[in-house]
Amino acid sequence: MANPSAVCNGHLHHHHQKQNNLLKSGIYKKNGITKGMKKNGISNGSLYKKTFIEHFEQAPMYVAVLTFLGFGVGTIFGYLRDFMRAWGLEKRNIAAEREQQKDFVPLYQDFENFYTRNLYMRIRDNWNRPICSVPGPQFDLMERVTDDYNWTFRFTGRTIKNVINMGSYNYLGFAETDVNALKTVTIELQKYGTGICSTRQEMGTLDKHVELEKLVAKFLGVEDAMVFGMGFATNSMNIPALVGKGCLILSDELNHTSLVLGARLSGATIRIFKHNNMQSLEKLLRDAIIYGQPRSRRAWRKIIILVEGIYSMEGSIVRLPEIVSLKKKYKAYLYLDEAHSIGAVGATGRGVVEYFGMSPDDVDVLMGTFTKSFGAAGGYIAGKKDLVDFLRTHSHSAVYATSMCPPVAEQIIRAMKCLMGLDGTTQGLQRVRQLGKNTRYFRRRLHEMGFIIYGNDDSPVVPLLLYMPGKIGAFARRMLEKNIGVVVVGFPATPITESRARFCVSAAHTREMLDTVLNALDELGDFLHLKYSRYSKSSHPELYEETRLELED
Amino acid sequence: MNVGVAHSEVNPNTRVMNSRGIWLAYVISVGVLHVVLLSIPFFSIPVVWTLTNVIHNLVMYVLLHTVKGTPFETPDQGKDRLLTHWEQIDYGTQCTSSRKFLSVSPVVLYLLTSFYTKYDPAHFVVNTASLLSVLLPKLPQFHGVRVFGINKY
Repeated sequence: MANPSAVCNGHLHHHHQKQNNLLKSGIYKKNGITKGMKKNGISNGSLYKKTFIEHFEQAPMYVAVLTFLGFGVGTIFGYLRDFMRAWGLEKRNIAAEREQQKDFVPLYQDFENFYTRNLYMRIRDNWNRPICSVPGPQFDLMERVTDDYNWTFRFTGRTIKNVINMGSYNYLGFAETDVNALKTVTIELQKYGTGICSTRQEMGTLDKHVELEKLVAKFLGVEDAMVFGMGFATNSMNIPALVGKGCLILSDELNHTSLVLGARLSGATIRIFKHNNMQSLEKLLRDAIIYGQPRSRRAWRKIIILVEGIYSMEGSIVRLPEIVSLKKKYKAYLYLDEAHSIGAVGATGRGVVEYFGMSPDDVDVLMGTFTKSFGAAGGYIAGKKDLVDFLRTHSHSAVYATSMCPPVAEQIIRAMKCLMGLDGTTQGLQRVRQLGKNTRYFRRRLHEMGFIIYGNDDSPVVPLLLYMPGKIGAFARRMLEKNIGVVVVGFPATPITESRARFCVSAAHTREMLDTVLNALDELGDFLHLKYSRYSKSSHPELYEETRLELED
Repeated sequence: MNVGVAHSEVNPNTRVMNSRGIWLAYVISVGVLHVVLLSIPFFSIPVVWTLTNVIHNLVMYVLLHTVKGTPFETPDQGKDRLLTHWEQIDYGTQCTSSRKFLSVSPVVLYLLTSFYTKYDPAHFVVNTASLLSVLLPKLPQFHGVRVFGINKY
């Protein structure tokens, strides 16, 4: 991960961070584990009001080599099995063309399926597991077995009860089936029905939408907001409304597909900067302003920076203060996608803007989804009234897509009211605090055990690096045996050497559940040799300032 | 689209040769091949070295210059389906560091082999032919070239 300053990148005692004098504005700071003595109001002013510690530790070289050897062995066996299947020595389980079509030009190139056939199929039982309860902190799984090595599955009829759910994006625990909590939702369902069947601009704007939009605007502290039925579509349909040909989009390397799709659909020029790397972004901004559009050298009509609040595969938090100061300096716009961070970070759950202590006016377009922290579906875009009015008329979603359905809107309203304290209880605040506690506890224990964890210390998304392809399957299966459900990801969704297991901590997880998971991880880490970290927290206590430790209770 | 994917890389195959640890893994596997061949009792040292060179070049030719496309589906609707892995490296940018490394390593192996075979004429012919077969496709002029239409589709 190319992030020189705040990275504990495998060099324990390096006293100088390589690049910092590059930025003339001096907004760059030395953060990180090596510089333990952090106080507020440091050297160059208080851009960051609290320490910003992110880890992207690299595993030792032998791990990378063994990972490649693992893929190599998998490939050799893949070719062997393909050969045996082609010559009839082994049964073919995959879909094939009919006998009469054997001489036709094939529909699909079978090499494109190589990875799926030979590597994914072997460990396929770890994904798409059917569940039969709400995906809360625990869920019930339908037990399925395979007789032919994952080509087909059959259900035994048993359900595995109370599997601890470490994979769902349930940050505040609103994925619940408590009848009392969902009473208002049931009432709205009876009153409005399930669907709207109309677009926002025709007949699809109900009083529920207006109420929800006012509530979202109040929650975020902005002038106005607009909600959409689908979180993915919020990005992909609205970015083309905001930028077009002749504009420049500066997008982070690890942006979500919806942002990438929206950027491509808009027709603007896209330039990618290294993940969370402010010099890369500044260089792109300077080049854009100095050199203008590619051939005509005209000034760009608009420059917009697309970033996310929390990146879901890395667990890193965006460097918002620096981006905002860059955008003010170079007069660019900022589009912040808070899909994972709204409700999950910040003292009262208002997202990264609150987490860094900044004002929502600094960000031009605040976007977020209701899928993760609010237990609902859909997305919103919030900001100045002019912006939202423009989107109401010009957004593709407003003209062609159906609006959000009322029961879902009611679920969001009730969750948001709970979060803001408008329902008369402090339950919302308690949930946010519980999430923060759980996150810090979980991450601290994992660091102490010696696993390599990516991301910011305050982010509830915890990627645990597995590296080798064989361990992906082994890890997920053994965790299921211990009654814990995890999400594992490998190549090509991640870089080839960095397969990982991704945990999503929830406010609904109790301390006992987290301890169960941590003990299981401890055992499994020893068994599978996953504890690659060379810098476990407990062995170097002098590098951690006292104030950080006070936060744990 | 690359739904469910953590990065905006359209074709991950282009970055594989730049990954951390792959050069070392490659050198180690050539070393392992050599040691395995050395342990066969009836091969003399020159034969073992020639065999290492020839097998290495053969495998490299097959994997880098014969197999086309990607072993997984890419979101660009198969733009690289007709390109070999060598042509896909870094999206076709020539003379990047991985390309240089992969061009130099058969040459290094060739020099070692020539030394250990004591410059014997028969071995020389075999080794040089093998080296040429693996060096020619790497030239920038041969990017996308299919001689006699072999391996075109």
